[in-house]
Amino acid sequence: DSHIQYERVGADVTMKCGSMDWDAAVTWTANGTDIDESHLNGSYLILKNVDLSQSGQYSCYEGSSWHLKYQTSLRVGTPPKEPVLMCRSNNYPKGFYCSWHLPTPTYIPNTFNISVIHGTKDMVCEKDAVPKNRCHIRYLQLFSTVKYKVTLTVTNALGKNFTTLTFDEFAIVKPDPPESVVAKPVPNNPRRLEVSWQNPSSWPDPESFPLKFFLRYRPLILDQWQHVELSDGTSHTITDAYAGKEYIIQVAAKDNDIGTWSDWSVAVHATPWTEEPKHLTTEAQITETTSASTSSFMAPPTTKICDKGAVVGSGAVAVCWTAGLVVAAYSVLFI
Amino acid sequence: MAAADSPSTALRRRDLCSRGIRLAGKMRADVVDLLDTYVEQQGLDASASVAAVEGVPLAAVERWDEQTGTQRLLENLAAYRAFRALLAQMLEEQREQLGEADAGLGRALAAVLLQVSAFAYHLEELLRLESRGIPGEEGDGPPPPPRLSLFEQKLRGLGVLRELAQWALRSARDLRQLAKPSAATGTAPGLAESP
Repeated sequence: DSHIQYERVGADVTMKCGSMDWDAAVTWTANGTDIDESHLNGSYLILKNVDLSQSGQYSCYEGSSWHLKYQTSLRVGTPPKEPVLMCRSNNYPKGFYCSWHLPTPTYIPNTFNISVIHGTKDMVCEKDAVPKNRCHIRYLQLFSTVKYKVTLTVTNALGKNFTTLTFDEFAIVKPDPPESVVAKPVPNNPRRLEVSWQNPSSWPDPESFPLKFFLRYRPLILDQWQHVELSDGTSHTITDAYAGKEYIIQVAAKDNDIGTWSDWSVAVHATPWTEEPKHLTTEAQITETTSASTSSFMAPPTTKICDKGAVVGSGAVAVCWTAGLVVAAYSVLFI
Repeated sequence: MAAADSPSTALRRRDLCSRGIRLAGKMRADVVDLLDTYVEQQGLDASASVAAVEGVPLAAVERWDEQTGTQRLLENLAAYRAFRALLAQMLEEQREQLGEADAGLGRALAAVLLQVSAFAYHLEELLRLESRGIPGEEGDGPPPPPRLSLFEQKLRGLGVLRELAQWALRSARDLRQLAKPSAATGTAPGLAESP
């Protein structure tokens, strides 16, 4: 007969060779390899202070006949620690889901059992196929002041543990981040960026349960974010961007009335529109710097631009100027 | 079957719903602030569970999305009329126990009571718009409840304010349902005849 035997890390394990007498001559193997006699006490196999590497198939054979007398699969592991449980509603008002994991592995199989109670009512949390450490539940009532109590119990052959979460319906509402965030420069506006996004597709009814949004943006070269909170709409125009600087932009969402902010959306990059530099000498190599909806890099012109015939700005005065990083630096200084 | 809305009716409904949503939002914010003050000044545990108390309308509802517009308005109106009476009673009890420290609480209660009254009136306006009869208020209201101990009064007050906060949330959602463009056609479930 084949057995499975679970033992704690650090335990001392004694294996008997089935019904063989203590003084019978036997040979033990671990994963097919003979075990040294020093580990035997008569026909018993003694493993002291077992560790994870000693998990495996142990077999006991009768002395000279080599008949297999006993076989067991030793699984060394640990009892479960208190599991980590999280519940969240990203599809309010439809329902919520709970997901869990163990803070450290046990190295042996575990079973999880979840119970959800609302007042005196037991509710069924339906397990998801994928991922398997998750279940979801439909709200049967809305606007209740009665809290939900979720208890997760984890059990394995070496012990059990549990954790409990208690919360209000509205406290766990956290939408998914906004989707399809797009940032574009605005033609002829060197300080503007137009940002648009969509409600997360998991939010079932944005008309009845509108979301509000939080936008953050900064030039790549700076660490400090600018923030804007928007109570409606799924677009916003940034009007104070530094000219010519590449920006990183993110958006988060929250139900208008309850719950917490979503995680930040995927970041998008954009650079405000810049005027095409005027030409030029024949040796000039000037990269096109027209508007683009993705990050664009403006290669600074390397040639002094001076055309007495040209009129720059107001006033009929020809001005010689050197474009590129110097201008950009001045822009930053004086804005 | 309700006749199709005239444009002016639809416009008026949308306007009343928008204002109602703003009223409900303000009311909820003030009730949440009041709850914090109430818990602190009454020496209560904010996480204490309070059993449902008779006479306090519960905001909890099943199949909320299936309610008709008329149901929403009538249930809201009944609730806020009840809260009007409950808050008036809380204010009375507060005045009986009034110390200097509680004067602020009394004022906050009175301010919320005013908003509750205003919201009830707002709901009546919406019902009038739908040519629905406004249900009469029951005489002088229900018989006065048995005299509670001071601690029971405080717990009851906690329950009242919690339910009111949830009602304010629900009302905003209800009004958004009512304000949906489909309601303007008069054939929407928002304002269908109740069975």
